[in-house]
Amino acid sequence: MSTNNYFSSFGQIVNTMKKYFNYFYLIIFAFLVSCNPTPIIESDMLDSGQISYAIQDSFQKHLVSNYINNPSPSQLDTPVIIAAHGYTATTFEWDELRNLANTKGTFYVSQVLLGGHGRSYEAFKKSTWEDWQQSIKDEYRKLDSLGFKKIYLAGSSTGAPLIINMVKSGFFANYNQPKGIFLIDPIVVSVNKTLTMVGLLGPVLGYTTVDLPTGEKGKWYVYRPQETLKQLMQLINQTRIDLQNGITLPAQTYMKVFKSQEDDVADPISALLIYKGMKTSNGGKIDAELINSKLHVFTRLAGRENVTPDDIALQKKVFADMEVKMTE
Amino acid sequence: MIKQLIGLLILLLLMPEIKAQFIDNYELGIGTRFQKTEQLYWENGVGADFTSDFLLKKKVHLKMSYATSRLGSAFSSNAIKQDNYLIGVDWRFRTKKCLQVFAGLNTGYFHADMEEPMFNVLPHNSLLLSAETGLVYKFKFPMSVSLSAGYNLITTPGSLFPVFYQMSVFYTLGKNHVN
Repeated sequence: MSTNNYFSSFGQIVNTMKKYFNYFYLIIFAFLVSCNPTPIIESDMLDSGQISYAIQDSFQKHLVSNYINNPSPSQLDTPVIIAAHGYTATTFEWDELRNLANTKGTFYVSQVLLGGHGRSYEAFKKSTWEDWQQSIKDEYRKLDSLGFKKIYLAGSSTGAPLIINMVKSGFFANYNQPKGIFLIDPIVVSVNKTLTMVGLLGPVLGYTTVDLPTGEKGKWYVYRPQETLKQLMQLINQTRIDLQNGITLPAQTYMKVFKSQEDDVADPISALLIYKGMKTSNGGKIDAELINSKLHVFTRLAGRENVTPDDIALQKKVFADMEVKMTE
Repeated sequence: MIKQLIGLLILLLLMPEIKAQFIDNYELGIGTRFQKTEQLYWENGVGADFTSDFLLKKKVHLKMSYATSRLGSAFSSNAIKQDNYLIGVDWRFRTKKCLQVFAGLNTGYFHADMEEPMFNVLPHNSLLLSAETGLVYKFKFPMSVSLSAGYNLITTPGSLFPVFYQMSVFYTLGKNHVN
């Protein structure tokens, strides 16, 4: 190859590369422009705001303060547990505990629908984690003002850091202190570590999507707006920092963490962070138990596919543990 | 056999040309490393960076470091005590300038101390594998400062997060060639 030919070939290569770089930039530009921040929502999705959980009357349907608004002395002595569900879920997550409580008659379950949840995609998109938490606070205030003497809290997944934050912020100082707190598969560290980059990637993504099995359709949001993912990250990061600095429970308040060992949503290390970070009022350790399960929120089996006898036995055992603690 | 090999190595290093390449023109930076992981801990420690003319005219740098949350976020707090043992290789650009650019790969070993026996069933050891890029400023006196960002390609166990930022301050032994 002569020198001229060599330079000619080299020039062609450079031109070809430039052309492909232009295509590359064009594709990136098209990708960014075509990002659709609002998904296509079908009417049978919770996100549509048109199904049972999203109807205004449903928001308070399972609140004890709503259906026992004039409690008798014996009702006031009965333990009541405020149950908070996880991110994008609904009160459905605690239905099985409520069914058990109805059967046993030894305690009540007050299922709060977190703020922004169970409404519509747009309502969810605008909500903050403080909004999610507000409905737990409201129910606690109402039960306390009605005179319930034995109030407990239970939080699954994101419900857990919302409750931990209530302890940290001193919310209970103004009311009768809770008797106990149960945390089921709490999330302080997400298994999906790209969540830590949601501030950077979020505006490009717009939202993420989950595939729901048939039994869960209409009970969870299908679309997760990036704004709410940022709120989730903000909540769990703040909780991690608070736990790092140490949080003391109110006097006489019991706490136990139940955590699946192979959870694919909330990293099991979350349980260690809570165990190290939370202390009883006299400086003692809280209770914790690692559960031999691969389910996230292993106490909710309804709507799941392939539930095993072991899953059922674990749910029964943990519910029994909670009942014993509340009624001892 | 081993004695013969060591003898041969000493002989080679004493030869003027070999000595000039391997010993006279080396740079060994040693110092401290500060690391902040995005949405997680400060992990600080020590590090070393070695290069010489035989490493493609000092374009290739070999490095090693140890960083731990014990000297960062876990110091008198409830943060998880965790250790990072790293070795790596960088490619340096603008090697004759004060402000240099580098990109490299690291590997090593990660260990998180579960402290409570109950939690030892959870994964707490892992291989480390990360890509890193950043800037190094070499002063006229034998000091250098580097700022970099990196991405962990392996992010289990739980307290191993993907994005991290580092600052290293090194004292340089050997020749410190900058224009």
